[in-house]
Amino acid sequence: MIAIQVNTLSEWRKQARELLIRGVTPNDVAWDSQQHSLFVDDGQVPIVAKPIIHHQLRIPQAFFGLADSVACFRDDRKWSLLYSVAWRLLFEDKGLLGMVIDTQVSQLLAMQKSVSRDKHKMAAFVRFKRVNIITSENDTATTYEHYVAWFEPGHLIVREKSPFFRKRFSNMCWSILTPDLCAHWDKRELTFTKGIAKPPNIEDDLEDLWLTYYKHIFNPARLKIKAMQSEMPKKYWKNLPEAVLIKSLINRSGSQLDEMIDKSSAPSINRITKSTFVRQKQALLRSKSSRDSTV
Amino acid sequence: MKLQQKLAILADAAKYDASCASSGSTNKSSKNGKGVGSTSSGMGICHSYTPDGRCISLLKVLFTNFCIYECSYCINRASSPVERARFTVEEVVNLTIDFYKRNYIEGLFLSSGIIQSSDYTMEQLVSVARELRKTHDFRGYIHLKTIPDASPELLRMAGLYADRLSINVELPSKQSLALYAPEKNPATIKKSMIVLRDHIDESKESRKKSKKIISSSSGSVQKNKQSSKFIYSPAGQSTQMIIGADQSSDAKILTLSNNLYSKYNMRRVYYSAFSPIPHSAEQLPAQSPPLIREHRLYQADWLLRFYGFDVNEITASSTAVNDSGPAGMLDLDVDPKLAWALRNRHFFPVNINTATREILLRVPGIGAIGANKIIKSRRFKQLRVMDVAKCGLSIKKIEPFIEAVDANPACRLLEDENLKQYFIKKESAQMTLF
Repeated sequence: MIAIQVNTLSEWRKQARELLIRGVTPNDVAWDSQQHSLFVDDGQVPIVAKPIIHHQLRIPQAFFGLADSVACFRDDRKWSLLYSVAWRLLFEDKGLLGMVIDTQVSQLLAMQKSVSRDKHKMAAFVRFKRVNIITSENDTATTYEHYVAWFEPGHLIVREKSPFFRKRFSNMCWSILTPDLCAHWDKRELTFTKGIAKPPNIEDDLEDLWLTYYKHIFNPARLKIKAMQSEMPKKYWKNLPEAVLIKSLINRSGSQLDEMIDKSSAPSINRITKSTFVRQKQALLRSKSSRDSTV
Repeated sequence: MKLQQKLAILADAAKYDASCASSGSTNKSSKNGKGVGSTSSGMGICHSYTPDGRCISLLKVLFTNFCIYECSYCINRASSPVERARFTVEEVVNLTIDFYKRNYIEGLFLSSGIIQSSDYTMEQLVSVARELRKTHDFRGYIHLKTIPDASPELLRMAGLYADRLSINVELPSKQSLALYAPEKNPATIKKSMIVLRDHIDESKESRKKSKKIISSSSGSVQKNKQSSKFIYSPAGQSTQMIIGADQSSDAKILTLSNNLYSKYNMRRVYYSAFSPIPHSAEQLPAQSPPLIREHRLYQADWLLRFYGFDVNEITASSTAVNDSGPAGMLDLDVDPKLAWALRNRHFFPVNINTATREILLRVPGIGAIGANKIIKSRRFKQLRVMDVAKCGLSIKKIEPFIEAVDANPACRLLEDENLKQYFIKKESAQMTLF
């Protein structure tokens, strides 16, 4: 058994190539980094000393597209799965990726789907807060706006998803802080720093307006909690400012619906008959529309 | 009035509108610009969901809920005692940008009550869009609800700034419109839809041409040609119908939709279950919105657009043997595709190893993705019944309608008079979750 630890797709690709040209079968490699010490066979010859038996490796381009996504999956089992499928593509069936009901292929596709959903949710659920930063140089203080978000992605997607935010907010200074990795944009360059453990303690007054909007765009007559949760799973709620309202909106919806249905609150005085302005306007519109329809 | 209060009133006023899509525009980004924003030609982004299961993609507000029209179904009609407010152009612009910068939204969906005149109102909406684009170089999504009576010049200007335009047909029939929305004129609505359609078509043509020129010419010519591109409402136009306020049948509604898709190139027809509104007009039903009917209409709409179904196939007719429901209505118990299959059992079982894509799509439980997976997989081997599950499909639902390389005892269910009950049990369990 050969034990190998990799952290990125390019590392994996380099190692996998060395193994594949030497014909090392998937069963002889342990990619799981945690099990490193258990599986090392101290007496073994180094991989590079083994003879090269395959000089040309041809793998369909589609495999690398898939691998790009799968590499973001938050579970190290992905590396051995990628190796097995690469092996089978090379030595068993180069059309394997089309076999969507194959167990390993469908596992890879499921990983890809999960990563791609997480990326989409990151684009949706990152919430920036505006921070005013004051810098002083030569006695003149300048203020600039920096937008800061705290997000906890399901998979390792910060590096891959950051260009989306650069494209969208290229004229804004922003940082997206996560436990895995932090991304920063200063209107010129995208940089990354180590992940941080806890969200920063900052507030943005504009959130009040956002919460007002959320509260009032909700129609209590159409309660569909399940539909909401399938698209906005609870795990995201703690970083969504509006989520604090969900419970009370649901609780109040019943009595609100009763009010909506209750016709006794309908106006006793008919405003149209009282307002000459409205009546004149409507007469005008009606004559205009009857003219139009006879054309 | 404080901004927060205005926002509360004007969001309240907008929440009965179903559409919130931000999809299908052109690819834009804020790179090389001064402002913020990006859109894509693919699907939009839903930034949040409210407990009604609807997404928040756009800041959906009315410019004002003052209105001189008297549409019975509308919370903002002239006689309604609802509290009124009016934004300034600047307020809507700033709200949009402030929300956008925090990544709350994809852009703005602006609609309005009619104040003073149709043109005056439309001018306000266009000003907001122009201000966002020209002064702030905003490159996010803008959806403008178009006032049908507005002048052709204003309709033209609106599309230069908006990603999508829409005009509501409101109600499925002329009679209903005359009854419930006396100031609205079906002829004007159609006329304006045609104006939009023609501009949209012209714009598509011009973008196609300029793409061709760009790909076949050298750098210096490129810039010139690109600026001659006419971009008008790149995400097309959409419309909305209110369901259940009047007596129109589903057949009538779907026939109208079909017409709207083919004649006016609608991107989407939205169905909005009539929601009770506070202080509602007397002639309207006071009841919870018919959400299941709305859901069935969306499913049927999907069948019309992507599955090659015909309106007559989808809605029950009083002459059909197995129909229980009223003529021209969708079955509320089961989805319209399953309902069709139950009425047309002679069509089944479908052989999943040989059927064309078109035929596979007729099987209840097999959608576009599922059909593709089946077709891909059967190149490698003859499929067994259980392989359908490996394609990520629900075996329970599909089983009675297919045959595969192995024996399929579930096929016998096709002969069962009560096959519908077999499905309703499952469906009703799901329905309680609504």
